[in-house]
Amino acid sequence: MSLTTTKRAGSLKTGVGPLHFANKGNSYKSALPLLPFFAFIAYFLVFPLTFIVRDAFLDNDGKFTFENFAECFKGVYGHSFFVSIQLSFISAAIGAVVGALIASAIVKTGSRFRKATAASASVLANTGGVPLAFMFLAGFGTEGLVTRALKFLGWNIYGGTFTLFSSAGIILVYSFFQIPLMVLIFSPALENVRPEWREASDSLGGTRLTYFRRVMVPLLFPAFISTALLLFANSFSAYATARAMTAGTLPLMPLLIGNLVDGNVIANQQHLGQAMAVCMIGVSIIVMSIYVLVLRFSKVKR
Amino acid sequence: MKQKLNLSNRIVLLAGGAFFIFPMLAAFEFSLRTNESKSYGFDNFRWIFEQDGFKSNLSVSFRLALVTAICVLVLMVPTVVYLHLGGARWKRLVEFICLVPLVVPVISFALGVGTAFPIFLQSTVYELSFLYVIVSLPYTYRALDVGLSSIPLLTLVEASRASGASMRQTLMYVIIPTIRTAVNGAIFLAIALSLGEFTLAVLLHWDTFPTWIANVSQGHVLNAIALSVLSLFGAWVVVMIFALAPKSLRSNKIQEATK
Amino acid sequence: MISENRVSVELKGLRKVYGTAVALDNFSLDIAPGELVALLGPSGCGKTTALRILAGLDTDHEGQIIINGKDIASIPANKRNMGMVFQAYSLFPTMTVLENVAYGLRVRKVDREKRNKKAQELLDLVGLGEMGARLGHQLSGGQQQRVALARALAIQPNVLLLDEPLSALDAQVRTQLRDEIKRIQIEVGTTTLFVTHDQEEAMAIADRVGVMRHGVLEQCAPPQEVYLNPATVKVAKFVGAMNLMPVEILSSSSVSIYGQSVALREGGNVAGTMALVRPEQLSLALAKTQGRASATVFNLTFLGPLTRISVRMTGDARTLFVSMPSSAALEFVAGSLVDVRVLATSVLLDA
Repeated sequence: MSLTTTKRAGSLKTGVGPLHFANKGNSYKSALPLLPFFAFIAYFLVFPLTFIVRDAFLDNDGKFTFENFAECFKGVYGHSFFVSIQLSFISAAIGAVVGALIASAIVKTGSRFRKATAASASVLANTGGVPLAFMFLAGFGTEGLVTRALKFLGWNIYGGTFTLFSSAGIILVYSFFQIPLMVLIFSPALENVRPEWREASDSLGGTRLTYFRRVMVPLLFPAFISTALLLFANSFSAYATARAMTAGTLPLMPLLIGNLVDGNVIANQQHLGQAMAVCMIGVSIIVMSIYVLVLRFSKVKR
Repeated sequence: MKQKLNLSNRIVLLAGGAFFIFPMLAAFEFSLRTNESKSYGFDNFRWIFEQDGFKSNLSVSFRLALVTAICVLVLMVPTVVYLHLGGARWKRLVEFICLVPLVVPVISFALGVGTAFPIFLQSTVYELSFLYVIVSLPYTYRALDVGLSSIPLLTLVEASRASGASMRQTLMYVIIPTIRTAVNGAIFLAIALSLGEFTLAVLLHWDTFPTWIANVSQGHVLNAIALSVLSLFGAWVVVMIFALAPKSLRSNKIQEATK
Repeated sequence: MISENRVSVELKGLRKVYGTAVALDNFSLDIAPGELVALLGPSGCGKTTALRILAGLDTDHEGQIIINGKDIASIPANKRNMGMVFQAYSLFPTMTVLENVAYGLRVRKVDREKRNKKAQELLDLVGLGEMGARLGHQLSGGQQQRVALARALAIQPNVLLLDEPLSALDAQVRTQLRDEIKRIQIEVGTTTLFVTHDQEEAMAIADRVGVMRHGVLEQCAPPQEVYLNPATVKVAKFVGAMNLMPVEILSSSSVSIYGQSVALREGGNVAGTMALVRPEQLSLALAKTQGRASATVFNLTFLGPLTRISVRMTGDARTLFVSMPSSAALEFVAGSLVDVRVLATSVLLDA
């Protein structure tokens, strides 16, 4: 309705944008079409979550107790917090940095290559579990192809303390899906960087370094950090790959929980597993709150 | 915006590519080894297809994926469309809900489901499909949200309604075709997740293709590697079909209309 | 092609509030069968709200919407049988032009052959008969709006609703399409409501123009009358240009403007001290006696057939605009001493 032509005119008219439906009657009526969604969420998400939190506070006789949580921080269970968080942090850092580097090289290629890599990245980001574990055994195991090739070139990766079943090995394996995930999520942010900005910076006398520091970093930092946190959560909760790789030798939180609840232990430990699961949610909430805060304080609107 | 690749970019791409390709090549090489060492063949692959579990578990996983995809389509598409129209005031709440699965590690979620769900629901393998809808929420929501934000949705809906279409017809004839790429993306994500999910399946004691692979791997190393190669290759084929399908469908449609 | 159902529209006492803002207040409008009424007003005046209420796209309003004697206020948008053309970007992007036009018939379950035939007829009517197989984005903006018009007409609507259909187009295309819409509207004879912020457009296309300000319909009359006899000060000031000239009140029915007596019209501000006079209702003559000249020319703007001359009054240094045929304006140059005459026979007063 304004004199100037506006794109997406439909939603700009005299306050009759998307909100005009919402004026219908009282506000709760407008939630009616969302009822199936809310019901689905309530039953399949909220319901299980309340149960697990409740059960984490029960002992074997169904009485309220903090004992499970006290147990969580003792011995191997307490140690697993440290191992899990450290491993996830390193894995996220490596995945984010390497992934960002690869993504920034990919955006400079032709559109066909970009499409192919995006499709491949979506496959690789979803690999995990046994297939991934065996691929790395075939490649980086003691008899693996890559191991032998590197040995031939004079670098024995097993010369030190490295094994595929240690933290370092797990981090290497996780990189196989962390890096593609970073590429997948970070690329759109990179594609929003317009060549004009580089030209503008150059024409104003900026060096490559000032462009990187003054334009790229402020622009991409929020996307970078938020994706890195996503990678953290991704490796923190990874279970299938860890289980396939370590066979229980590494004290990772998901593995311990899996052992606790998956049959062959005394019944008492069911509730300990639930308390551990609640603790994992707690760690995740802290990490994701950072994610939300970063998004909120990012100056660049998407 | 093809730019010149400088040397450092080339090195990054080559090194990155090598990291991903070599384990796959290695796995492929292993998968071709036969038990009478020093010779290559397809014995390991043949062995897989001879297993009873192969077909049955694969079919379970495909059926799960199908049900998951249908649930996403039926539940999420109308929901996100409504959030872009009349339900805008609920958008932040729904957005928040859709982030929750990122916060809840799947293993924690699996434990909750195990204790919370009544027997009747736990008696069918399709409970996994509903859970996969939940786990894939962050990705399906985002895909649909981005798709709907990129079209003049309100005008299209009003044009359709003024033409006499019901909301259902509008959804079927106008909205879904217009955001087909986003819908395909959301469904593809849900399918990929369903086909590869392991944690929920194993902790809720269901047999799916991924849990079957895990079982087979114990004691049959070469066969398991062959399976790994096969499943990765299979995923690749599916992705390529999806990546190419929308385009070819659309061009067919135009040709048909031109006749 | 003439539609069988020529309907009358009565809007009675419409009122619509968004939060605390009144978008439309006590809005009443009758449209005769086959008539084209244009609602004219600035952004946010409520003209689009009125159209959307008639379409059924805005609900929860007060007042009645009567079509052919029947109140349809409770009928949802998709059952009202209104053909609507939007500002822009309303073609369904996945459908061909022909499918777009046939869409209304498709959702009415008309079989393919029949609806394609009808759609083709309408494409021929809007001059795009050859474009049926294209997709919307392969057409120019003007062509897209023609398709939108064909789509709106394909359902043989009770009322054709045009919501700023030309405002996203280039000036040249706009004029051309405006005339075409008028031609087609006369040809099919559908009762039409046209919403625009462009005066020239409203004047050129409408049988009657409704001028709106702040949610209120100030006047609804044929274009000539709106222009020559504006009913209210708001209409007078919004439509065309106006000079504000100081007056002396002579009686309740006449005033004196710079010594000339002119009749007073009803509808103005009774306590006002200024008369509203259009630039073409003033004339200039070179002053005969230099010392008693009433004004000095200080600028001439050549506008093709017309020239607009700015003059400064000798007495109060007030600036007035006078417009006259360019041929008549040749005798004046900047600095000419002139006498100003008021040609208007009656004027409105404003504060």
